[in-house]
Amino acid sequence: MTYPAERIRNFCIVAHVDHGKSTLADRMLQLTELIDPRKMRAQYLDKMDIERERGITIKAQTARLPYKPLGDAADEYLLNLIDTPGHVDFSYEVSRALNACEGAVLLVDAAQGMEAQTIANLYLALEADLEIIPVLNKIDLPAAQPDEVAREIAAIIGGDPDEVLRISAKTGDGVVAVMDAIVDRVPPPTGDPNAPTRALIFDSVYDSYRGTLVYFRVVDGELKRGNPIRMLATGFEGEIDDLAVHAPEETPIDALGVGEVGMLSAAIKEVSQAKVGDTITLGGRGARTVPPLPGYREPLPMVFSGLYPIDPDDFPMLRDALDRLRLNDASFTFEPETSAALGFGFRCGFLGLLHLEIITERLDREFDITLVTTAPSVRYRVTLEGQTDDDGQPAVIEVSNPQDLPDPGRIAEIAEPTVQAMILTPTEYVGPVMQLCEGRRGTMLAMDYLTEERVELRYQLPLAGIITDFFDQLKSRTRGYASLDYEVGTYAPADLVRVDLLLNGEPVDAFSSIVHRDEAYAFGKEMTDRLKELIPRQMFDVPVQAAIGSKIIARETIKAKRKDVLAKCYGGDVSRKRKLLEKQKEGKKKMKAVGSVEVPQEAFVAALRSGSPKE
Amino acid sequence: MSSTLTDRAWLTDPIECGSAAGFGLYLHVPFCHHRCGYCDFATAAVGEERPEAQGALFDRYLAALVSDLRRQVAAGPAAHAPAGALDADPAWPTVTSVFVGGGTPTLLGGHRLSALLAAVREVLDVAPDAEVTVECNPETASPELFGDLVGAGVDRISMGAQSFAPHVLTTLERGHSPERPLAAVAEARAAGVDAINLDLIYGTPGETTEDWRRTLATVLAAEVDHVSAYALTIHDNTPFGRAVRTGRLPDVDEDVQRERFDLARQLLGAGGFEHYEVSNLARGPARRSRHNLLYWRHGDYLAVGVGAHGHLAGRRWWTTRSTTAYLDVVEAGRSPIAGSEVLTDDERAAERLLLGLRVREGLHPRDVPPLEPLALEDALDARLVETACGRLRCTDDGWFLLDEAVARLR
Repeated sequence: MTYPAERIRNFCIVAHVDHGKSTLADRMLQLTELIDPRKMRAQYLDKMDIERERGITIKAQTARLPYKPLGDAADEYLLNLIDTPGHVDFSYEVSRALNACEGAVLLVDAAQGMEAQTIANLYLALEADLEIIPVLNKIDLPAAQPDEVAREIAAIIGGDPDEVLRISAKTGDGVVAVMDAIVDRVPPPTGDPNAPTRALIFDSVYDSYRGTLVYFRVVDGELKRGNPIRMLATGFEGEIDDLAVHAPEETPIDALGVGEVGMLSAAIKEVSQAKVGDTITLGGRGARTVPPLPGYREPLPMVFSGLYPIDPDDFPMLRDALDRLRLNDASFTFEPETSAALGFGFRCGFLGLLHLEIITERLDREFDITLVTTAPSVRYRVTLEGQTDDDGQPAVIEVSNPQDLPDPGRIAEIAEPTVQAMILTPTEYVGPVMQLCEGRRGTMLAMDYLTEERVELRYQLPLAGIITDFFDQLKSRTRGYASLDYEVGTYAPADLVRVDLLLNGEPVDAFSSIVHRDEAYAFGKEMTDRLKELIPRQMFDVPVQAAIGSKIIARETIKAKRKDVLAKCYGGDVSRKRKLLEKQKEGKKKMKAVGSVEVPQEAFVAALRSGSPKE
Repeated sequence: MSSTLTDRAWLTDPIECGSAAGFGLYLHVPFCHHRCGYCDFATAAVGEERPEAQGALFDRYLAALVSDLRRQVAAGPAAHAPAGALDADPAWPTVTSVFVGGGTPTLLGGHRLSALLAAVREVLDVAPDAEVTVECNPETASPELFGDLVGAGVDRISMGAQSFAPHVLTTLERGHSPERPLAAVAEARAAGVDAINLDLIYGTPGETTEDWRRTLATVLAAEVDHVSAYALTIHDNTPFGRAVRTGRLPDVDEDVQRERFDLARQLLGAGGFEHYEVSNLARGPARRSRHNLLYWRHGDYLAVGVGAHGHLAGRRWWTTRSTTAYLDVVEAGRSPIAGSEVLTDDERAAERLLLGLRVREGLHPRDVPPLEPLALEDALDARLVETACGRLRCTDDGWFLLDEAVARLR
């Protein structure tokens, strides 16, 4: 069935993790009776295992919901739910998905209140000029404070607290009112059916049988199966093989018009040929003159880390796995890199820490490759002393691997990326939060009381200061109540140095870090202490040193092993003892030899887990 | 490892290991007055029981031991060895050593132990010069007990002294005074026991170097033939293990243990003891524990009782660790064996090394499995092992790092 544009509503749900977005989506699907109850499973739209396990949406998904409001005369409407990713790492993807909508359901947990992430996405929704429908969820919880949270919402988006809808997605209570509000308040899509076809890509997913599946929303014109198409930014050209909508299972359709949301395949080999934010138009002569939809940009990796296989023989496997992941994730980058300590690996760029975690977890889970991941780093801009580029400007190089930092003598200035962070916290934790931000070299920009109990703090912080354990620290200092969001800001100069770690006199490049000069000693001490704890005693004394250039700033010694034998060994112990030794032998295979020192994989992982000094 | 005939000579035609090492019998008595916090052996505390109930339990257990022994012996060696490893129905080898361990075997009393050893001689061929050892707790020892044991052919007593420092005995939850083991040693001597061992534990949290030095001096003055000195090992599944995890007890310190080990070697060595195994010292080769050497030389032995482990021609088996289960099963005429494994040649090679290198003179060249030249080179380079006349043995330093040595050799 086709719908005229005036009976189409494209909307998304803006919510914090755990505030019930997926449950609400499930409930809406059930209300429209589109899913066989026997096939119903929790979080229907989240298809990746990692998503369901972590309760987060990484890739956007869509669902088409035909809905007939009550009343005899009512027409049937088509509600398109565009499910957006919910994490700060993916805010660009979120903004594109929001641009495919005219309205947003702002879903807030009535017990938890607004979180920084929700507010950040709300601002993105307001920027995209969406109609906001505020909804309080989980009103059936004993801890719910609907009146207070409604006032908080009204304070941020304006309007009357009484107009905030109150529902329980779990029981289904109030969900119909949300559907009705979407029909009544979200404007229908506007677009010119006669203009040259333009469709916005808001997600693309790799499918091993059909190539890249592209999720899009038609802005102008129409797309039909068999149409030749062209992507304006990447220049990809092909022909639509499959055209489908999700209702919510994939259902083929012949054509999609203005305002409609769908999915197409066109033998697109890699997702990088169909990037989020790009414009799809019809192929042929006229294509080149069609103006692209606004807002497209190349994904920008922010966090960098070296990925090394524990077993050097896995290197070709790792390369294949990265190639294959890259097929369905255009936003991460990788290039080969060599480390004296870790051998052959790849320097990879990620949108953020969660993105890094997801990729490494997928490598482990889907490809069964055990990795050492070096400390996450950012991309520094280094102005070289006395050198100019072709235009006569001071020469600037970008450094994302501490090893590539030139000698101090050649550096005129180092600049690091900063972020504008927004932190929401109960007022009682303002002190500890400020302490944390200042410890990470933050500058306060603003402090606003949202209500008497909640404060919004805005800080400019070095990105390097928040990519390690900042979020964990924030949570632990506020008993989990604070929330964080940030957007990437400008580069700012800083007094940075590289701290190297040496084992038995040999630098272990994997442990090198770029840190602020004021933090270098504490960092060096912390790392030498930690390595002393993590590296088992060897056959000889092993000095562990931290150094800036040739200057040693911290030193510990791992004493030689002095006892490694079972005191008592009689008849009964032999089987157990032999198995213990076999296990140790297996463990030894997982050791990385750094010079003559054997370092267990866990030591690398644990030492690199948190690259910053303790507060 | 290849499997040509000559490559397996270390198994088929050994010089002093494996089947050339003798044949032993181990009998386990699980009962104790109190289960010490560090102990992870199969034990059953009976301190709370009334004496009559204890006596009835001991009678039951003795009967079960004898019936278990009879059943195992009747089944024949082929039933204990890996399938096809032995000829159809060979006779049991002559027993060269018997060891009654525990637990506290002496809780059973002289009469029951005598009856047990009589049953052993009835069903198996025990060599006239076989070593017969009984483990003894000083609290349960008396001149009468030793008299009975000597009468039953016991020629060696292993006495649990652990330490002569009162506070260390308290930490170890030992019920006897520091003086009692010495008196018990004198009683055993007077009764005619030929060889006496004292068991010691060092590196207990709270023990000082001076405590250990005094303990060693006391041992030297006691004129025993043999000392077993163990570094305290805290196993996870014991009360000590739990206390360490919860921070109520400090963990053992490997540097302290090494220091005490070196002190024991030095002081006991000067007092005429030969340090012949990682944790064992004897006044000359004749005073070594023949039964324990059998274990370290990868020999064969039958095992009877709760939580006992036997070995024959590359098959290991073990019985249930529960005393009640053992009694029930044996009394019902069934086998108390809880598990077994047939070792591959590779596993037997691992055992041969990890056991054989525990002994001072190491392994005879013909008893050593073929080693990887590079692995041997590596272990030699690290000064963990050395070779002399082809024999492979640990260096003085490598002895206390035996696990590392074995790991590198394989």
